This record gives sequence, structure tokens and C-alpha cells, in this order.
Amino acid sequence: MSLWVDKYRPTSLGKLDYHKDQAAQLKNLVQCGDFPHLLVYGPSGAGKKTRIMCVLRELYGAGVEKLRIEHQTIVAPSKKKIEINTIASNYHLEVNPSDAGNQDRVVIQELIKTVAQSQQIQSSTQREFKVVLLTEVDRLTKDAQHALRRTMEKYMATCRLILCCNSTSKVIGPIRSRCLAIRVPLPSTEEVCNVLTTVCKKEGLLLPPELAKQICEKSGRNLRKALLMCEACRVQQYPFSADQDVPETDWEVYLRETANAIVSQQSPQRLLEVRARLYELLTHCIPPEVIMKGLVTELLSNCDGQLKTEVAHMAAYYEHRLQLGSKAIYHLEAFTAKFMAIYKKFMEDGLDAMMF
Amino acid sequence: MDEYEELLGMEDDFEQQFADELEVMAQMDDDFRKRGPQRPQEDISDIEHLLGDQPVTPKAKRQKQDAGVVKRLFDPSQTQEVTAPSQSDDITPPSSPEQYEPSRPFRSTQAVLDISGFAAIPESPWRPAPATASLQVLKRPPLEGDYISVTDSSGSRVYLRQKEDTGPKVVDPRTVRNSQGGLGLLAVPVEVLREQEAEKRHQQVMEESQRLTELLANGVDEVLVEPDSREGEANNNDEEEEGHRSRLWVDRYSPQHYTELLSDDFTNRCLLKWLKLWDTVVFGRERKSRPPQPDRQAANQNSSKPNQANQNANRFKSKSQLTEELLEAELDQYKRPKFKVALLSGPPGLGKTTLAHVIAKHAGYNVVEINASDDRSAEVFQKRIDTATQMKSVLAADQRPNCLIIDEIDGAPVAAINILLATLNRKDGQGGEAGTEAMKKKKKKESILLRPIICICNDLYVPALRPLRQQAFLLAFPQTQPSRLAQRLAEISRRQGMKADTGTLMALCEKTDNDIRSCINTLQFLHGRGQRQVDAKMVQSVSVGQKDQNKGLFHLWQEIFQLPRMKRKRVGEGFEEGAGAGGGAQRFQNILHLASSSGDYEKVAQGLYDNFLSMRVRDPNLHSVCEALDWLSFSDKLNQVMLHGQNFSLLRYSPFLSVTFHFLFAHTHVPRINYPHSQHEASSRLHSSKNALSTMLADIPACVRSRLSELSLTVDILTLLLDIICPKLRPVNPQLFSSREKQQMRELIDTMLAYNLSYRQDRTPEGQYTYVLEPRVEEVVRFPGLPPRRQLTYQAKQTISREMEQEKMRRAEQLMLLRNPAKEEPKQSAQPKPAGNHLNHQQRLENIVRQTTVETRPEVDFFGRAVAPKPQRPQPTSDSGEKSTELAMGKAVGNSDVWFRFNEGMSNAVRRNVYIRELL
Repeated sequence: MSLWVDKYRPTSLGKLDYHKDQAAQLKNLVQCGDFPHLLVYGPSGAGKKTRIMCVLRELYGAGVEKLRIEHQTIVAPSKKKIEINTIASNYHLEVNPSDAGNQDRVVIQELIKTVAQSQQIQSSTQREFKVVLLTEVDRLTKDAQHALRRTMEKYMATCRLILCCNSTSKVIGPIRSRCLAIRVPLPSTEEVCNVLTTVCKKEGLLLPPELAKQICEKSGRNLRKALLMCEACRVQQYPFSADQDVPETDWEVYLRETANAIVSQQSPQRLLEVRARLYELLTHCIPPEVIMKGLVTELLSNCDGQLKTEVAHMAAYYEHRLQLGSKAIYHLEAFTAKFMAIYKKFMEDGLDAMMF
Repeated sequence: MDEYEELLGMEDDFEQQFADELEVMAQMDDDFRKRGPQRPQEDISDIEHLLGDQPVTPKAKRQKQDAGVVKRLFDPSQTQEVTAPSQSDDITPPSSPEQYEPSRPFRSTQAVLDISGFAAIPESPWRPAPATASLQVLKRPPLEGDYISVTDSSGSRVYLRQKEDTGPKVVDPRTVRNSQGGLGLLAVPVEVLREQEAEKRHQQVMEESQRLTELLANGVDEVLVEPDSREGEANNNDEEEEGHRSRLWVDRYSPQHYTELLSDDFTNRCLLKWLKLWDTVVFGRERKSRPPQPDRQAANQNSSKPNQANQNANRFKSKSQLTEELLEAELDQYKRPKFKVALLSGPPGLGKTTLAHVIAKHAGYNVVEINASDDRSAEVFQKRIDTATQMKSVLAADQRPNCLIIDEIDGAPVAAINILLATLNRKDGQGGEAGTEAMKKKKKKESILLRPIICICNDLYVPALRPLRQQAFLLAFPQTQPSRLAQRLAEISRRQGMKADTGTLMALCEKTDNDIRSCINTLQFLHGRGQRQVDAKMVQSVSVGQKDQNKGLFHLWQEIFQLPRMKRKRVGEGFEEGAGAGGGAQRFQNILHLASSSGDYEKVAQGLYDNFLSMRVRDPNLHSVCEALDWLSFSDKLNQVMLHGQNFSLLRYSPFLSVTFHFLFAHTHVPRINYPHSQHEASSRLHSSKNALSTMLADIPACVRSRLSELSLTVDILTLLLDIICPKLRPVNPQLFSSREKQQMRELIDTMLAYNLSYRQDRTPEGQYTYVLEPRVEEVVRFPGLPPRRQLTYQAKQTISREMEQEKMRRAEQLMLLRNPAKEEPKQSAQPKPAGNHLNHQQRLENIVRQTTVETRPEVDFFGRAVAPKPQRPQPTSDSGEKSTELAMGKAVGNSDVWFRFNEGMSNAVRRNVYIRELL
């Protein structure tokens, strides 16, 4: 527990550092007794999970922090055995159903059923329901989501669901309407800087505000990343200097270089090189959406203002196709080729205009 | 057997007579001789058989017609003979060739075991041939003399008088298609002459009656309406006509002799030779007893081998040593060849089945065929194999031993093939028994296989065939030579009265990839449409010749990326131009056909994707690349929809991807195609990355684990985490660290334990030792071509590793103490009582132990369960003091058999206090 991220993670709603009014609302929600299903969403590193754990603690007390990992084996109707790891306390069960791949529907139904069927004995002193926490709901198959609809209503008496995801766009409407949606936005730059400074102070370190700001920028306000970066800075060089270079994740650097390669030359050969790089990124478990987003961001910052709308439009188009298809590399490369074509035409037109 | 011995005698005479003939000739002669003495016998018996069966129909009957039809007819054979030729042409060969052509007698239909008994009859050349009809047409049957009734399609029937033909008997070798050349050198057997004569006469009758029929048809009914629309009376005739017309040319002109085979000579010989190896066991012939012919035999061949094979051996030895060696293998203890099964493989239409039939007959076997149209479930298969290999026909005069031909075995279920294998490997109960003796014990179910089996398949590499492949004599069929095929086609078309030049026929061969069956069928189709003149253009335009064939993927890619050679026209941009020109449309169809018949769209798409960027197509604006990728992503989407919604009707749109690529990237250069590995490679690497991550995640403690996911690990955490666990450490003994450094070290180790990382000592191939991070997540986050991250030195890693081990032990110990303090207590308090068997050190340390156990007596709640105290980590720098040290020491001593005491003051060296816990 010695990474700063883990060490200084707030454990109760009252100790949260930002979005305090939301924390207060959550507290009210718990206290008024009629706790609904929750759908917590927001970008990664905004503190969704922290907030959920705080809510759970508010609900059940410190007992929820005694976690254990359980290996469960679920037999699908097709006699196929599915192994899945769950994290559980006495009061809640956390599952990442996307681990089960295509069979996630079975996993969800089985797990929720087992949790919901056991009733609390002393309901006077405890809550009468348990909580099932599903993470990465946006990666659930449609099948599983539809299975969830009925389950949510049926076991309302003994079980509450907390769904956690990055974006609600992949969560089907019926589920969204059954849950209280809570958005956890990214903390603002000041909030990130505040958190960083506080943590450093607790560690007995002095963080120059410029460096805090720089870390915040590099991390894209992702607080988890910011804290990790800050700690990596500390490991690199302790007495912090304001213009210290902040370590970055490798894939971002690699992606930036890829974008530069695209901008510097447009030819089938270059496309072939870019393909190899894209494959490299994909095989390092970087999700294609993230690659697409990073690529677009880098390309947009490199190209002319006139092109920006078109490029953004193309990106949206190909990302949509990416979601519909299954072979990410085709779509990523199609976008790259399209960008190359647009960019090349623009540059040549520009050259012509300069010559005449 | 007797019959066969007789045959043998004749064969020997013959060979002495024509010792210098070419061997192929000899084979054919052999064939003829074999048939010679057999024929009358066979015929008579068959007729007798028939008579007993069905006295009303004394004449020959074609197999295709069933008994019902026969009974209804007035005089079936004659009616059929007269009416049938109306569909054929003037100078065509006899319309029912299986009856009058000498090449027919061993037709495949006949050779197959036939229960009905109709099949064996057909040839009867010495039977009084139907007389030529007089030119007079009678409206009712004549009072005396033979007559032929003729019914036209409109149902009106007329009668033709038959007259005895007394014309001079002319031998016309040309009419005997199959024996020309070969027989010219020989003394023509009288049977053959009679056959020819009979055929000639028959042909004349045919021509006459056909002309009459046409005349009649024209007279009675001007317009030839479709036969089906006629009333009931004509139905019989129509059926017959239909049956006749449906005789495919493929069947009609299928080779009957070894010399007529179009397939590769070497393959033919190999199969023949293999089959001849069975002679010893099947016919009981010992070849040793035969007089050797030293002038023609090579020195290195032993005389125990079959004679035919010996002769052939001279030739093909130079071609393939390997196959020969296979064939020269010794016979086994039952005098069977080493390989009990021959497995012919090759694409359809090369004549595999024909070859098997012809050769089996040639070697004197009765052919029993099992093919895909039969029931091939395991039980039925077993039964049929046993029947075919262990019995022989008793009723029929044809007492030749059976040869089992299993056609289309690649479609048979695995169970059936296993049964076949079991049959092959069956061991006889009496081991040393000779083959012939075993044959007599046919009643016994489990007798060994004593008959040759020939299996035929298209795809040799079907998984089900794998075990069979190892035990079979494999023969792969090469392509038929187009020149030979074209020659045969020319002959056929000449006989059918079609005009076709060699170039056209060659084009046809090329189009069908030298598929004999498909070529002949196409010809017949064109003929049936009324075309008598075939030219190259027509051949190109018909689509019938093409079959649904499966070419290799490389071939397909090659076709897609290469413009056809004939047309140099450059097609750049797209469909507008291509579709307008005739070439474009044709190419479109061609590629579409190829792609849709290949079937494996996903693989094709991958190959296209991997290769299209390296094609030499000028594409300065990247438009075609963009379009190609758009198509790829479209097809990906299509695929997804298809697989996800099971909506396979969309499958038909998949092959258009290939067409697009063809029009975008085809070039005259020969493309260099690489097999698409990229996707597989990527997926396997992705898999290994995921594995590393999941190993890492598996053992992370729950409190940390709940905050992690694979995604956040790869995107955010891991790179930075690896940086964090590489702090700058002074390269000194950790004992000499300052308190701050010690703190740092402790945190580092905590982190690594929390995230389930450790260093493992490893040896490089050069013999150096390194510490590698386990699990191997470094590979997951590191990218090639980026500046390397800072690495710890070997010493630092070693230090960390050692510290981690200690920390792990400490924690484990703590955990153990936490778990079972209650258990230890009674054990230790009980120990002092039996004083006799105390260990030395325990006696001495008793005091300490007792003291500590009292102190560490855990808190117990009401039920007697231990209340878990706060985990107390040993803190080296903190002021835990003497007491806790002694406490730890006491525990350690109490728990282990090893102990050690430091005698103070005995040395002049620098003194330090060393604690047990530091040693642990």
C-alpha cells in the first residue's frame, strides 16, 4: 500500500477532495434509506471507484473494507465452465463481467442470483440489501445488458446494483432509466494541483506549483495518472525543480511519434510503417478507441485549421465503424489513409497557390 | 479359378507368340483374351438367368429401364433401338453403344455388382442381328417375317419389315474405335470380327430406321412439340427416348481399355502394378513357376514379381524411384502387398474412378463400388466391406474375385474409416497360415483381408483420412495433358458430328482446367443446344464449363493482383471504365467467380490487406488506398453483422471485396504475395500480453486489486509504476543506508509486493546472470524504438530481491503467529512436564520461552476465539527496543529446531549486536 495513489485514497465521503456537493448528495442518498441502483460514469481517473467505495462504506461501515478475492466457477448452459474472479466483502460483491467474454450474461445472472437469494438475518441492525458492483459495464454485451433489466427489478428487495463505466453510450436505455445516473467529471486543474500538493506535504516533500501544473497538464487531469507521475518525478529527482521533465507513459510517446510519421510523409510505404506501429500499439493492450482518440488529438494539433473540421469528421466516422466492426486495425488504418489523402491534397493545393 | 487357369495358359501362348510387341499392346491383348473365352459363357448364363426370371423379355435390356417399362412394351429392345437414334446424328456411332460396340462389354454399370441381374447381358454380337428394314412402311404388322414397330412422338405406330441381310462381310477396323492400330498388327480374333460385323449391320438398321422416323415425324406432325405434351400411349416411348438422351457422353465415351486412359501413364502403371501384387494371394499364382523371359527382363528384377509389373518396371523406374521402391516391397506373411489399400487423390474430373475400374477389370477382378451415394454409416460400411472382400458371387457366371473400390472416401465419416482400418489390420487367428488356406475359412468372421481395396478421394488431407494415409499406397493424380484431352475431344466431336478445331478444344481444356468430365459435358451441352460448330468465342462465352472448384488461396490472390496476360489494357480507376469494356466485365465475373468459390473470405481479405500496399500501383493521391480500406472496413462490418446476427444471407456480398481490389490494384507485373501472418501474429502477441497482465492481477491483494482493472493498468499505471520501482539507490550495503534511504527501500518493497512484482534471477544464454521482473509486464508496456528507461543495476536488483524475500518471510511469519497463537500455547506449556526428553537448547531457553509465551498470550473473546490484534510490522529504525527483540527471539527459538548463541566477549573484532530476526 505504498503507492501514493493507494496510500492517500480517501475512504469516506466526507474526506473527498473535490466535487464535494456531489459527495454531500450521495451522503443524503444513503441516509434517507431508499437507496436506488446507481450508474456511475465518467472518464477514467476521475475517482468513480473511490466514490463508490466511499458510498459503500457509508452504507455498511468499515466492514466493506475487508476484501477477499474469490474464484468462482460458473457452468454455462452449454456445459462450458467460466472462471471468474470476484472481490467481495460481507456486504458487497464486485465483478468485472467483461472478463467472461461472450458468456457474460450467464455470469451476471448467476452471480446476482446467488447474492440476492441470501437474505440478511438481522435486518434491523443492517441494511436489508447487498450491493453488487459491476465494473466496465460499457463492455458488456447487449445480451447481458438485456438480461440485467429483468434481474434488476426482480431482486430489488435484496440487492442493489452499482454500475460503473466510462461512457453511458454503450449502456442500453432500459438500464439507464432504471438507475440513478451519477456523473463523476474530471477534477479541474486547480483541484488536481491541490491534491498533489497535499499529498506531497503529507510525504514531507515540497512540490513547486509550476511542476504541479505541468504534471496536471501532462496527465490530462487524470488524477490517478497525475499522482503516479508525481511519484515517478520524486523517484527521478528529489529536490523537485520547476522545469523537471515529467515521465510519460510509453504508449503516448509512441503514438505521438506515429502521428508525426503520418504528417511528415504520405505514401503507401509510410502507411505500411504506420500499420506496423498501430499493430504494436494494439498488441500492447491499448484499446483501439484510445488509440484513435490519441491519434486524432495529435493529428489535429499538427494540421492546419482549415482541415480540422474535416479530420474530426473523418475520425468520428471511422470510430463509429470501429465500434461496429471487430478488426480494429482496418478502421484505424482507413482513418490514417484518409487523413493522408486529405492532408496531401491540402499541402499540394497550398504549394500550387504559392507558386502562382 | 479353373477358368482363370485356362486363361493363364492362353496368356502364356500369346506372350510366346508376340514376345516383341510393345508392353502396352500386350496389356490390351491381355484384356481381349480375357474376354474372349468368357463371353459366351457369361452371355448364356445371363440369358438363362433372365429366362427364369422373366420369360416375356428374352432380349437384352438396358439396365436403366426397369422391369415395369419392359413389360408394357411390345418388343422393348427393338422398339428402343429403332426409336432411339432419332436424337442422334447421321454419322454417329450406334445409338446404344453399350450393346453393339465392342468396347462396351465391360461397362462400369455392368461391372458393378448388380442384384437385378439385368446388367450382365448386354453384348450379344453373335445373336442374329435385326435385319435391315425394307423401305416399305406398313401400317399394320406384316403377316410373315420379322418386323420392327416404329412409334413416333405423336404416337402413331408403323411397322417395318425385316429382311435378312446377305451383304458381304467387310471388316472395317475403323468402326472398332478402341482396337484400331493395336489389332491391325495382330491376327484378329474371330469374335472381334463378328462383333464388328454385327455392329455394322446394326448401324445400318439404325440409320435406316432413323431416317424413316424423321420422315414420319415430319409427315404426321409438322411441328415437333415437346414429347411430354403427348398423350399416354406415347409415354413409354418418350421415356425411353429421354433415357437415351440422358446418356451422357461422358459415360458413352468413357475408356474401356487401359490404353485408352487419358490420365498420366505413370500413375496408371503404378496402380496396375500395385494391383498385380495381389495376384499371389488372390489368384494363388506363384509367379516363380512361370517361364522367365530373360531377353526382356532387366537383371535386377526378381522373377517372383508379377509379369506385367515387371515389364512396366523398366519404364517408370527412371521416373520415380520412390514409388517403385514402395511397390517392390516384400509381401507380408499372408503374401499380401505391404500396402493393403491404394489411395488415389486428385481434383475432380481427371478420371480417377475410371482408372480404378478399368485397371481392376484389367487385372481380372470384379468391381464392387461403394460411393458417397451409398449409406456409409459404420455398420453398413462394415457389412459391405466384409461382403465385398470375403464373398464372391455364386449365381452369376462371373466368378471373378472382387475388388472393392471406395469412391469419394473423403466424405465418409470417421467411424467408417476406422472400420476400414480395422479391416486392414486384422490379424488372423492362426498366425502362420497361408493366405489361400485362410480363404477357405470364410465362415469365420474375423478373417484377414485378402482382396485389394482402392480408395478414391479429392482431398487427401481431410482430417478423417489421416490414419488411412499412413497405411495406404498414395497416388496423386497429376493434371491431364491438354493435348491428349483435346485429341480425345476432337474424336468425340467428330463422332457426334460437331465441328471443332484444335484451338477451340484447347481453349475449352484450358477453361475447365483439363477436367475431362467438364469438357465433355460442355461439348454435349453445346451439341444439345443444336450447335454443330464450336468456335473459341463460344467456348469463352459459355459458363457451363466452369465448375465450383477450390483453388489455392495464393492462386486467388495472384489472380486478383495480376491483370490477365492477354489484355494489356491498363485499368486504373474503377468500375466505370472497366465495366464498359468487354474485358472489364469479364474480369469482374472471373474474379467474382474465383472469390466466391474459394469461400474463405476472411482469409482472403487478410491476404489482400497484407499485400495491397506493396503492389506497384501508382497512386499519388492515395485515393485507391482509401477506397480499398473503406471496403475492408465495410467487409469487416458486414462480417460482424453476419456473425453476430447469424444473418448469413449477407454472405453473398463478401466476394465483391476481391473484385474491388482487383480493379484497384491489378497490375501486369507478377505480384509477390506473402502469406498473411500479421493478424495471427498480432493476436498471439496480444494474447501473451494479456496473459502477463492477468498473472500480475491474479495475486494482487484484494484491497489493491479492487482499484485496478486491466485497462487502467495498461493505459495509466504500469509504465509509471515501473519507473517508480526503479529508484536511485546508493550502491552500498543496505545496512549502511541512512534512515531516509531505508524508508525509501521499505516503501519500494511494499509497492512491489502490493503489485505482485518480484525479481527472479535468470541466466542469459551468454552465461551472465540477470534479474528479470516477474511477471513479465515490462514487455507489455515497453515499445520498440523509444529511448530505454532507466534500469537498476544488477547489485541494486539483487539487494531488492533479497530484501523482498526477507520481507515476505517476515510477513508470512507474522501471519502464522496471528493465525495460531492459541494452538501453540497448550503445546508449549505442556512441554516442560515430560522433563526427560527435553532437547538441550530447549532446557536452556526454557526461561525465555516461558516468559515470551506468557507475554504473547493472545486476547480471547467470549467464545474462545482469538481477537486479531493489529498487525505489527517490525520496524527496524523505530525504538522497538530490547524487549520486543527478545520476544521475537523467544518465539523463533520456540518454533524452530535451529538455534544459535553468540558468546560475547570472545573476539577482539568489532562487536555488533546481531538479532535473530536479522538473520531470518
